[in-house]
Amino acid sequence: MPILGTGVKDGLLLKPIRYQWAMDLYDQAVANTWFPNEIQLGEDIADFKKMTDEERHAVTFLISYFNPNELLVNKALAFGVYPYVNAPEAHLYLAKQMWEEANHSMSFEYVLETFPINREEAYGAHVDIPSMARKEEFEVKFIRRMTEEKIDITTTEGKKDFVRNLIAYNIILEGIWFYSGFMVALSFRQRNLLRNFGSLVDWIVRDESLHLKFGMNLILTVLEENPDLQTPEFAAEIKQMILEAVEMEEQYNNDLLPGGILGLNAGYINQYVKYLADRRLEELGFDPEYKVTNPAKWMATANDTLELVNFFESTNTSYESNAKASS
Amino acid sequence: MAITVVKRDGTREPYDANKINLAIEKAAAGLDENITWVTQIASELELTLFDGITTQQLDEAVIQVALQNVKDDPEFDTVAARLLLKTIYKRVLGDYETDAELLQLHRSKFRAYVERGVAEGLLDPRFPALFDLDRLAEALTPAHDSLLKYIGLVTLNNRYGIKARNGEPLEVPQYFWMRIAMGLSLNEARATDVAIEFYETMSALDYLAAGSTLVNAGTKFPQLSNCFVMEMHDDIEHIAKSVRDVMWITKGTGGIGLSVTKLRAQGSPIRSNNTVSTGPIPFMHTIDSVLRAVSRGGKKFGALCFYMENWHMDFPEFLDLRQNSGDPYRRTRTANTAVWISDEFMKRVQHDEPWYLFDPLEVSDLNELYGKAFSERYAFYAAEAEAGRIHMFKKIAARAQFKDILMSLQTTSHPWLTWKDTINLRAINNNTGTIHLSNLCTEICLPQDIDNIAVCNLASINLSRHLQADGTFNWATIERSARLAVRQLDNLIDITMSSVPEADHANINNRAIGLGMMGFTDVVERLGISYESEAAYDLIDEVAEHISYYAIQESIDLAKERGSYPNFAGSRWSQGMVPFDTIDLAEKDRGVPITVSRKTRLDWAALREQVKGGMRNATLMAIAPTASIGLVAGTTPGFDPQFSQIFSRATSNGKFLEVNRNLVDALRQHGLWEKVREQVLRSQGDIQGIAEIPDEIKAVYKTSFQLSPYSFIEVAARAQKWIDQSISRNMYLETREVSDMIDIYSAAWEKGVKTTYYLHMKPRHQAEQSTVKVNKAEEIVGKKGFGAVAAETPGTSAPVPTGATARRGFGGLGA
Repeated sequence: MPILGTGVKDGLLLKPIRYQWAMDLYDQAVANTWFPNEIQLGEDIADFKKMTDEERHAVTFLISYFNPNELLVNKALAFGVYPYVNAPEAHLYLAKQMWEEANHSMSFEYVLETFPINREEAYGAHVDIPSMARKEEFEVKFIRRMTEEKIDITTTEGKKDFVRNLIAYNIILEGIWFYSGFMVALSFRQRNLLRNFGSLVDWIVRDESLHLKFGMNLILTVLEENPDLQTPEFAAEIKQMILEAVEMEEQYNNDLLPGGILGLNAGYINQYVKYLADRRLEELGFDPEYKVTNPAKWMATANDTLELVNFFESTNTSYESNAKASS
Repeated sequence: MAITVVKRDGTREPYDANKINLAIEKAAAGLDENITWVTQIASELELTLFDGITTQQLDEAVIQVALQNVKDDPEFDTVAARLLLKTIYKRVLGDYETDAELLQLHRSKFRAYVERGVAEGLLDPRFPALFDLDRLAEALTPAHDSLLKYIGLVTLNNRYGIKARNGEPLEVPQYFWMRIAMGLSLNEARATDVAIEFYETMSALDYLAAGSTLVNAGTKFPQLSNCFVMEMHDDIEHIAKSVRDVMWITKGTGGIGLSVTKLRAQGSPIRSNNTVSTGPIPFMHTIDSVLRAVSRGGKKFGALCFYMENWHMDFPEFLDLRQNSGDPYRRTRTANTAVWISDEFMKRVQHDEPWYLFDPLEVSDLNELYGKAFSERYAFYAAEAEAGRIHMFKKIAARAQFKDILMSLQTTSHPWLTWKDTINLRAINNNTGTIHLSNLCTEICLPQDIDNIAVCNLASINLSRHLQADGTFNWATIERSARLAVRQLDNLIDITMSSVPEADHANINNRAIGLGMMGFTDVVERLGISYESEAAYDLIDEVAEHISYYAIQESIDLAKERGSYPNFAGSRWSQGMVPFDTIDLAEKDRGVPITVSRKTRLDWAALREQVKGGMRNATLMAIAPTASIGLVAGTTPGFDPQFSQIFSRATSNGKFLEVNRNLVDALRQHGLWEKVREQVLRSQGDIQGIAEIPDEIKAVYKTSFQLSPYSFIEVAARAQKWIDQSISRNMYLETREVSDMIDIYSAAWEKGVKTTYYLHMKPRHQAEQSTVKVNKAEEIVGKKGFGAVAAETPGTSAPVPTGATARRGFGGLGA
């Protein structure tokens, strides 16, 4: 049985596992369970108060974007992925991912409710700020096709819509847009600001890395199982979606950092976005489009290495709750 | 876009690339390849600029750009440190051009620094009268600043450096060292001479005082002691008093060990109001909140570790204190936990016997007993329970509880395992009562009671600075450091103020100190030997023996000069015993061999005679974690292995990249570093899978998770022979099998290790890396294969791993 399908009575038994990668990702995701209230934000409030207006704007802007969009990912999963996937191991993972998106949203809520931020403005931003609203509309367009125009997953067009939605929420929203946001959020910690918020972001990035792995596996599996999708026209359409997303992100970043802050400006972030977009393109089998270098070499420190925590001073985010070993 | 820079006075000037280039060039002087670095740093800096950047931001941005290149070459760390030093000099001392001018400024402004500090009520008001400030100024050696790595300089400057009331920084690093030296020689007859001696050795990083001392020495409120060890008694007055004491000690930056074993269990009767107790957990939560409230402006939280014996009825809930879920009022998110384990328990685990939990109210003497006496009494209570004569008890399998402890340790890194009988049976000061707990970092072993809050005062020798080019230790400088450090710590006891009378009382009557050491891994790497080799074990054995010997000698000399500590009579010192002699005592009581080598090298017989005559200090040694001062010293902390060959450190001053310079040097000698550095980063500092690297280098440079966990135990066990207190023994594990953990922690007990500390588990999953090439599709190897389409379509860029077919996605579809 292929991974795509809508039979309600199919996929009720986990064994035998057909897609081991989905099962492995589920196990790891469960071990990664964390809660925002493990992080205390007292120090960060002190930092936030002494930051410049432009810095505070950038943080508020980011949170305003992430908060609703974590839940938007859930809609994409609930309406566009879960109903059309038939492997129970994939359903298990998706259920955990959806809880994680909820947990991320609650984390940004936690920050929003703790930091001295104009909440009304923050909650309204995803509608009021055109560059943010445009990104949201782009996503919504693909989710709508999965709900309002009921698709038939057995047809080529139905499968294409499935892949389009995956590309939109997983590759673009989670894999490019979120990732550039993470870089900006973590940049504050490199200057010894918002360290605890940085710990929350560490956890979120850890989760999102799994989401991306799952999405990438799912896309490649669907392509592999459905030769009718392997056409140059469809490939070109997908690539175009990503290029368009980069362009949208550039406008958004100009609003995120209209001036500049220490170590960052909009052009710098945009170069990072292009670096990420090339990586996603290559992972999908395309040639890189932008061929730029990663300007944020410091991400080696912020994200790429094992972290040794001086644990009287900082939250250790490397621990795993070990569901398997404790049973 | 034209970029203008906002100067300190608010005026703007156009961004001057030339000026920046000159500054970078100067900071890179004398280092390899500095010409390419100047252009590289400058061009990377320009990426980050924006119109209206301030000069201060510009300074910081240049440093950040230099730092982000450390992953490629650790020399960039030197560039960053020099750039930061320059900004500190300019802010504190003003503008200068040459090194000679800088030296002159250091000297000429020293008196004004001291006088301003005193006038603002920051520095000790006795300074100007007690010291010859001109002589001290002459002794200042700014050249020592070049010993500091970037993270060390940041730590020193941010954490320890003093600021004026208006926020202006008052200290350059050498003023800081001199202030510490002065603050620890106030009681000396020749205060200036002694201060210069302390200054010279500490500023050369030969040994360092511990954190609280570095924060407070020489200030108007010198709370200089590092460790406080106390217990809560089973009455509401004393609980309230303990909360009060925790507040005061935390305000003074002291770390706290707090035993809650004596508190009656949940559901235990309270006579006065005919109700029942809530047990210790809610009181621990209260203390946990206190630690966050008294937190130096939210920047440094209080640090405390709760201790409980594992026969306490509420111990199962104690294990949950650090869980990340559940009722937050029954959790301690800030405080740490440690379990105080008896030999009786370890034996019951080995023999798979039952274990009983009791309410302390019914077994009130258990907490005072240790060794055989504890075992006998415990067996008596167990029999009473079986006979139905104990009101509250629970019977479980000892092994089941040991597994619960280890599972909790694996998932939350708590509780730390500490062995009360090894500690008590080896205690030199068993004349002053039972040791009920260790401290925050599990290296202190001192008796305390309701009238005495045990206090310890720490310093650590930097082994790395005493290793000579020929690969031998300079025992003469080690002796000098050990003796000076002991004298300095003894001075500290008469200078410190704690705001807790029970602590001052214990401090004066015991004069307990803990000289430690750091840099062990740094040293073995430079010697080209593996951490897990017999050579390394013998080395730590030898070094610990020497340092212990010198420290005891100095304490003997100090006793002659200043008198013995008041509780000396009746101590094991007074009976002619040295720490090594207590191993046999512990072994005899335990009835099971303590499996550690008994090799000795020095003339201990002579020393045994001398200690009988008097000792200045109740204890002399303890190996602290040195997590912060190790950064200042620029070496590996305590006995810690190399966490990984490249890793990040999260501290209260931010996140820093650490690249093992010893490895980089070794690889450079083979012409390999540039070739393999991206692979080293990709593998997160694990070099074992990199084909180009020779096996002899791989053997020396294992990550903490690759070394045998038994090597951590062996290193601790060898050092523990000589150390009267204990060792903050960090542990690192890759295995998640509880049966492996049982073996490892049982081995620690068998080898006579007194305490273990934090357990680092190797993370199984890491976020997607940003700065190295990533292509997840290459890792995804499909069973069915998508290769058919991909194979027909040349021109795709993704390389295919050999022997497997990568999925190609849209590859070759006209993209």
